[in-house]
Amino acid sequence: MSKMLMLIVILLPMLSGALIPAIPFKNRRAMCIYIELCALIDSALVFLLLHNPPEEALTVFRFTGNLSVTFRVDGMGSLFAAMAAFLWPPALLYSFEYMKHESNEKSFFLFYVITYGITLGIALSENILTMYFFFEMLSMVTLPLIMHTRTREAVLASRAYLYYMLGGAAFAFIGMIFILTYGTTSSFVMGGVLDMDQIADKRNMLLFVYVLCFCGFSVKTALFPFSSWLPKAGVAPTPVTALLHAVAVVNTGAFAAMRVTYFSFGTERLRGTWAQNVVMALTIITIVYGCSRALKETHIKRRLAWSTVSNLSYILFGVAVMTPLGLTGAMSHMLFHSFMKITSFFCAGAVIYKTGRNYVHELNGLGRKMPKVFVIFATASFALMGVPGLCGFVSKWNLCRAAVDSGNPLAYGGVAALLVSAFLTAVYMLTMMVRAFFPGKEFDDGSISDVEDPNWMMLLPLAVFVAVMLCFGLHSAPVIRFLREIAGIR
Amino acid sequence: MAFVQNFPFMSIILSLFSGPLCSVLDGKWAKKVNTAVIVIIGLMSSCVLGYVAGLGEPFIYRMGHFPAPWGNEIRVGVLEAFMAVFFCVIMLLSMAGGVRERLLQIEESKQNLYYIMVNLLLCSLLALIYTNDLFTAYVFVEINTISACGLIMIRQNGRTIEAAARYMIMSLLGSGLLLLGICFLYSVTGHLLMSNIRQQVEMLAVSGEYRIPLMVSLVLMSVGLAIKSALYPFHTWLPDAYGYSTVSSAAILSSLVSKGYIFLLIKIFYRVIGFEIICSSKVIHILFVFGVMGMIMGSVSAIKEESIRRMIAYSSVAQIGYIYMGFGLGTEIGVVASIYHVLSHAATKSLLFIAASGLTDASGDSVRYEELHGAGFRHRLAGAAFTVGALSMVGLPMFSGFISKLLFAQAAMGHEYKMLITLIALAVSTILNAVYFMKTVIRIYTPASQDGESKGNRIIHMREQPGKSAALICFVILNLILGLNSEPVIHMIEAGLEMFR
Amino acid sequence: MDLWILVPIILPAIAGILLLVSSFTGHIRGKTAGSVRGLHVYTAAVLVLSAAAALYAAWTGEREAVLFTLLDKIPIYFRIDGIGCLFVTLVSIIWLAVGLYSFVYMEREGEEKRFFGLYLLLYGVLVGLDFAGNLITMYLCYELMTLVSMPMVLHNGSRESIMAALKYLFYSMCGAYGGLFGIVFLYRYCDTLNFTAGGTLNIAAAQEHRGILLAAVFVMLLGFGAKAGMFPLHSWLPAAHPAAPSPASAVLSGIIVKSGVLAVIRTVYYIVGPDFLRGTWVQYGWMTLALITVFMGSLLAYREPVLKKRLAYSTVSQISYILFGLSLLTPDAMTGALLHTAAHAFIKCGLFLTAGIFLYQFGYTRVAQLDGMGKRMPRTMWCYTIFAMALIGIPLTGGFISKWYLAQGALRSGIEVYSWLGPVVLLVSALLTAGYLLPVTMKGFFPGEEAASMDLTKREPSLQMGIPLVLLAALVLLMGILPNPLIRFLYEMVSPVFY
Repeated sequence: MSKMLMLIVILLPMLSGALIPAIPFKNRRAMCIYIELCALIDSALVFLLLHNPPEEALTVFRFTGNLSVTFRVDGMGSLFAAMAAFLWPPALLYSFEYMKHESNEKSFFLFYVITYGITLGIALSENILTMYFFFEMLSMVTLPLIMHTRTREAVLASRAYLYYMLGGAAFAFIGMIFILTYGTTSSFVMGGVLDMDQIADKRNMLLFVYVLCFCGFSVKTALFPFSSWLPKAGVAPTPVTALLHAVAVVNTGAFAAMRVTYFSFGTERLRGTWAQNVVMALTIITIVYGCSRALKETHIKRRLAWSTVSNLSYILFGVAVMTPLGLTGAMSHMLFHSFMKITSFFCAGAVIYKTGRNYVHELNGLGRKMPKVFVIFATASFALMGVPGLCGFVSKWNLCRAAVDSGNPLAYGGVAALLVSAFLTAVYMLTMMVRAFFPGKEFDDGSISDVEDPNWMMLLPLAVFVAVMLCFGLHSAPVIRFLREIAGIR
Repeated sequence: MAFVQNFPFMSIILSLFSGPLCSVLDGKWAKKVNTAVIVIIGLMSSCVLGYVAGLGEPFIYRMGHFPAPWGNEIRVGVLEAFMAVFFCVIMLLSMAGGVRERLLQIEESKQNLYYIMVNLLLCSLLALIYTNDLFTAYVFVEINTISACGLIMIRQNGRTIEAAARYMIMSLLGSGLLLLGICFLYSVTGHLLMSNIRQQVEMLAVSGEYRIPLMVSLVLMSVGLAIKSALYPFHTWLPDAYGYSTVSSAAILSSLVSKGYIFLLIKIFYRVIGFEIICSSKVIHILFVFGVMGMIMGSVSAIKEESIRRMIAYSSVAQIGYIYMGFGLGTEIGVVASIYHVLSHAATKSLLFIAASGLTDASGDSVRYEELHGAGFRHRLAGAAFTVGALSMVGLPMFSGFISKLLFAQAAMGHEYKMLITLIALAVSTILNAVYFMKTVIRIYTPASQDGESKGNRIIHMREQPGKSAALICFVILNLILGLNSEPVIHMIEAGLEMFR
Repeated sequence: MDLWILVPIILPAIAGILLLVSSFTGHIRGKTAGSVRGLHVYTAAVLVLSAAAALYAAWTGEREAVLFTLLDKIPIYFRIDGIGCLFVTLVSIIWLAVGLYSFVYMEREGEEKRFFGLYLLLYGVLVGLDFAGNLITMYLCYELMTLVSMPMVLHNGSRESIMAALKYLFYSMCGAYGGLFGIVFLYRYCDTLNFTAGGTLNIAAAQEHRGILLAAVFVMLLGFGAKAGMFPLHSWLPAAHPAAPSPASAVLSGIIVKSGVLAVIRTVYYIVGPDFLRGTWVQYGWMTLALITVFMGSLLAYREPVLKKRLAYSTVSQISYILFGLSLLTPDAMTGALLHTAAHAFIKCGLFLTAGIFLYQFGYTRVAQLDGMGKRMPRTMWCYTIFAMALIGIPLTGGFISKWYLAQGALRSGIEVYSWLGPVVLLVSALLTAGYLLPVTMKGFFPGEEAASMDLTKREPSLQMGIPLVLLAALVLLMGILPNPLIRFLYEMVSPVFY
């Protein structure tokens, strides 16, 4: 039964999402309740599944030969699944309120809910083919969400998004074929599956393919030079930008990069090679590049998007360190960054929803009128900067520690880059906060007299996320221990 | 001899004679006869397929019971029978999908002429598939060319006549080269039956005699068929021919005619020359290079196109490139991949052509991109089908294109130095495919700008065009079957290739 | 687990947060003014209580408290040792004095609730910083200190002050991250991050990675040095101090800047250990930077016409006296540095309070406007003179003792060139200090010929502003006249670091 549960949690959101346009809802409220219930039930099932994980894998169907769509619950998968299951219901709650004024709600929720199922599919994939399968599906399903407003800007953004996604997948495909051909199995096994006897004479080929594959998967994670799609995709409604382009979609890229690096190619064969250096150099460049672009950007959501670019590369940097500690750091940042960034985006969304303001210079004084939102926003900013006591510090610490521990000189550079980026984060986040809270004495309060905090549907998710940030920040030991177990440190 | 063994011959004869029959009937009846013939042949071929699969080995059907080397033979294996069934299905669906356009675009008096051509085409395709005789193959290649020309030209406007003329010239050049190649082979080996030539060629290969004439003949035949199936530098006739003819012609031409030649080429490789000899020759390197170039250049040309029909046509060039690249790898699994791609491309390309015609219908018969905005909302089924076709072309899992991409890549892995080239070419080509196909998909789902609302736009429901809708649905299902349940098909191809030996 | 440590940290922090929240809700309801007297009583009560608790905790025996595990194997850990005692005493004295002063001063600036909220919160954070028992806890408090003190700088809300606050924030952040960079490396190569006199560096592991470790320590010094206004990250200081309201500048200059010094002491003497750095390029680099800063700060102060800016430059210079003392890595110099820390805290705090009085009473900011001030407010001017003399290092003041020890430490250190170059620079800088501080006194008491045209009516500040000033001046004198108990205490503290 527990085996079938894997299939159920993946299919339930897809089916219930697909049914949204078909069901004649009495009113909007009914639709919202239906969607939220579906998501809640599914999340409950996910946690049930993770609490009681099935031992063996479930093969759903075969493409050809030994290439099959197979699911299994393992440590890393359960981390990712739990993250998705935790984030989706509050995000939906938020979007019910946010989408009130937007058109085409049904199609929005249709794809938004389906994405949930596909994300779970990626989390529970047992082999590289299954992951690739859902990876591609994810690109397609999120496309209508970016196109949602159907303005020219949205169309251009979705076009760029698609080119990048499919292009990335095309190169990831090369790596997948390599694993399928030279691996002893296509499943994910910690330490890698490559059959070294077969490729002993193709070492450089192996490394080259690894670099292609890593970059291919990392296109979704907006690795430099493939990062420009992410800020463009910010034209989507905020719930999409927040949940998908800061968390779910982009993290699947990082997740896939972890999978191929640690579970398919194997770090033993990659550590200390030029491939590792190339990959790590790219992540380091992205870390700094993303932050610098964020600094220049004056559009709030785009600024946050560039910040995401940089933060995602923290995760990839952890992957590129190629030690179990690095994996721990990467996973912890994946987890914590999700909460920090979704909170930031939701706060930005609340501002847009309440005031229609999109640019940083328009934030003046709003902190006094929307204190709850902005206190939360400030907390998220502090977390992103890595102020101790909030979760961002923990993951940053783990990443730095792993880098120092690895003894790789380039990784030392990475530590410096992480801290430079933390500094730049402080600059671009705190300038917004200072504007919001301290508009200066010439500022006229009258211009924003009718602004107030949004209602509970928006505040509740924010409160939950902030609580999580604090909990993880103050008491990270159990989480980190869990992550270390996944990474194979005893 | 089981009765079923007569079916291949009977189906060729049936389609050959239903041609003249159509000429005396009027358009409506001709259509019915034509449909019936295709269905019957399809059923007969399925019986043959079942029979051969059960038999486990190919059977030979002698015409008039003369033994070789005088008599003419038909040879049927699993792959041949499967191809026949598949071609019938595609043809049926393509015909069904283009009914409305045919009525609109072809003169009343010439309606039945169209069915004659289609019947002849089917006949020649079946003959190409089944025959065991090189010269017979040549004869039906010519018949094929003539009827294909007819299919292009029958929508009479200046463009199609020009296209047909161009097609004619290029095709005849191809046939000429093929004929020359056959002549060389005949004079070297003294045989025209494939099995006999193969024995001779093997002996010659061992003795080392006539190496150069053999090579020249191989090159001539390959190039000839490559021209006819529009391999990259010889593709110039293709966009016009596919782009301006009526939609069922375009679908049939792209999915069947060029595939028939490719199938013949496979037969020549396996049955006439012997695969080992081919692999050791330089010819496959040439095919590989042209194939890879085609993959890239075809897509580049498609990106530049402004018209949806011509874009799909250019995409064919790229797909033909895939197929030749598969040959060029020079491995068994490469050929399997190519044959699989023949199937998947046939299923996808007709789908795209027919879906595109549905979209243009809903946009005032314009094929230009700017006027297709929002067409996906006006004709929902066509929009969805086009999306499926595009995704398959891009190689998304679940659809047939993914499996062929997978097979090509796996085939490439076995190769020392062609591996990386192939893999990267596949990746680049995927990106290029994504660029033009997904751009179109996004376009048809973008609402038209307010001021530029053109008058021709109308909303089309599924029921208005039952033929097209049914065809589209069937194509989508076919695509999904190939994508999700590819294993039996691949087994069949492998078994069929085994029977070629 | 000793709760006495936590009381002076948590009590003012919570009280401060409550004030901030109420200031917020006041904003939403549209009324910012509350009962000022109630606010004052509340602040004063909390301050006195927590200062009493802090001093009690600090001076009555060894205490430690482990809160919870922040990172694996690194808890939030507080422990009181000599350095902590010294700093917490300085903080408490100055906080009480400046608190009294600002009850009057801040009435004019407005937004008192916010100011006192931050003021209390900052006190809690600073006590936490002083009591911190390991590097991570210290880093936590260090970051919080920056974030909490930043809004004090932009208090008056002018564009200039906001820009200054951002500058302060970004320099401090930059410095903190530099510190974090080093902490990560130290974590790898140290046995523990708990502060231990003499350092915890694992010598075997460290020797292998000597190069990178030295670089990391240097980055840390630069980073923490930013807070202490060390060249090249000093330029926030002259921007932020004048922009802040005077009580805020007083605590910034008196205490916050010293936190950078504390962080440096903790890193060098309690984690890395002086032996590891002695004779390396890091030590030379550090000494050079400190001396450059000493000289440059004085020179800039000398040329500066605005009083608070002049004092800010003077802080840049004086803090680097301390850093230079620390960089010598000898017991004498370290004692001198700690002495100067205490002396400078009182002196600079007092000077800024004086400048605040000029501003409050007359609105004067420029030095040139202060002629004849000695006639108008002699009491204040006398205090100013004491502070000025102490800063120059004239005997019988605290400044003389500390500078004496600094110079002695340098001469005895035996480091080539620097053992004589240091004292020379210190001397030159002292001359410059005299040059930029004493003219105010002279012109103040002897305005010269223009005196006739001046308004010389007496306008002493109110007692609430005057008392803190007198108190600080008395302390400075006390340090100069009876330095021995303090020196003995410091020697006791310093000796385990070196032996």
